Amino acid sequence: MSRKPYVRQMSKTSWFLTHSRYKHYILHEVTCIFIAIYAVILIFGLFRLGQGPEAWQGWLDGLRSPLGVIFQILAFGFAMIHTWSWFKVVPQAMRIQRGESFVPGNLIIGAHYGVLAIISLFVLILAGVA
Amino acid sequence: MSTRTITIEVLRYRPEQDQEPFFQSYTVPCDEDWVVLDALNYIKDELDRTLSYRWSCHMFVCGSCGIVVDGEPKLGCKAFVKDYGDKIRVEPLGNFPIERDLVVVIDDFIEKLESVNPYLIPKEEKSIDDGEYLQTPAQLKAFKQYSMCINCLLCYSACPQYGLDPSFVGPAALALAHRYNMDSRDVGRKAREDVVASHEGIWECSFVGACSQVCPKDVDPAGAIQQTKITSAIDYVTSFLPGGNR
Repeated sequence: MSRKPYVRQMSKTSWFLTHSRYKHYILHEVTCIFIAIYAVILIFGLFRLGQGPEAWQGWLDGLRSPLGVIFQILAFGFAMIHTWSWFKVVPQAMRIQRGESFVPGNLIIGAHYGVLAIISLFVLILAGVA
Repeated sequence: MSTRTITIEVLRYRPEQDQEPFFQSYTVPCDEDWVVLDALNYIKDELDRTLSYRWSCHMFVCGSCGIVVDGEPKLGCKAFVKDYGDKIRVEPLGNFPIERDLVVVIDDFIEKLESVNPYLIPKEEKSIDDGEYLQTPAQLKAFKQYSMCINCLLCYSACPQYGLDPSFVGPAALALAHRYNMDSRDVGRKAREDVVASHEGIWECSFVGACSQVCPKDVDPAGAIQQTKITSAIDYVTSFLPGGNR
């Protein structure tokens, strides 16, 4: 008897709506767009700094405008989601074996948050905020 | 023992008469300790002997009874009916062609599994008279988790990357390659590299992590793939250093 296997096609545009774990994945991927836009704004700031005090002040005013503030709050929120979702899976990629056991995943995640806190504090001190 | 009457909706596909799959409902009196596989066996024995599905051990060792239960890839023998409502939807594993009913075509996976050389490649062959290849408990621990795979293919069913691009070598095969790469008795990493470190290998994985979430043996294929990415990236960078092969 001849075979006739049936292939079910997966939607290339809406597959991630089929399960909550795929929605979480897409959320964690999409959040990087806001981080990328924020990075471009920062680089643009350096460019404006090079053009002189007025250009720099214009860039600062842009950031302080209502639209600028709303974007930064959004970008900060998404950066936090991005951080949380990546730190959560670090122990899978970073297995540290000591003898016959492995360093607990929570310790590795905790260390990442610790380093994040130290770097953030350093940046805030550098910026004269803390 | 109490029983509960459950409607089991099974995705049927009979290639000799059906153009496409369809759901068929069966009313099954389930004992409280039954698993979905028991319900399928009841259907087969008492209601409809034309239903096709794979199973063997009934104790999550053989890896034969992988199915999708209410949208989630599961072993039929590990999905307890008490954890579900009065209607349970059973489908064949996703991302594989359906041969018949719940039986899928797994030839693609078998080819990929073979392509990663999933066996020990020792530095030098020893005769039996020379004794065992010795290994410490710590060296065993380094790869043991990745040796627990039973090839049930739930990970392939859950992996959207494999669904979108079937050329992806996929979670179980890459996890098994990692299992041998991590084995102190093995020197076959270079022999596996062409397949494992290729675009269709580890670099096709975008770390959705679904494979590890559905794995019934806690193998963590997603972790194995990310660890291989790190090793492969270090190999690439060091190849440019003095003494490297570039």
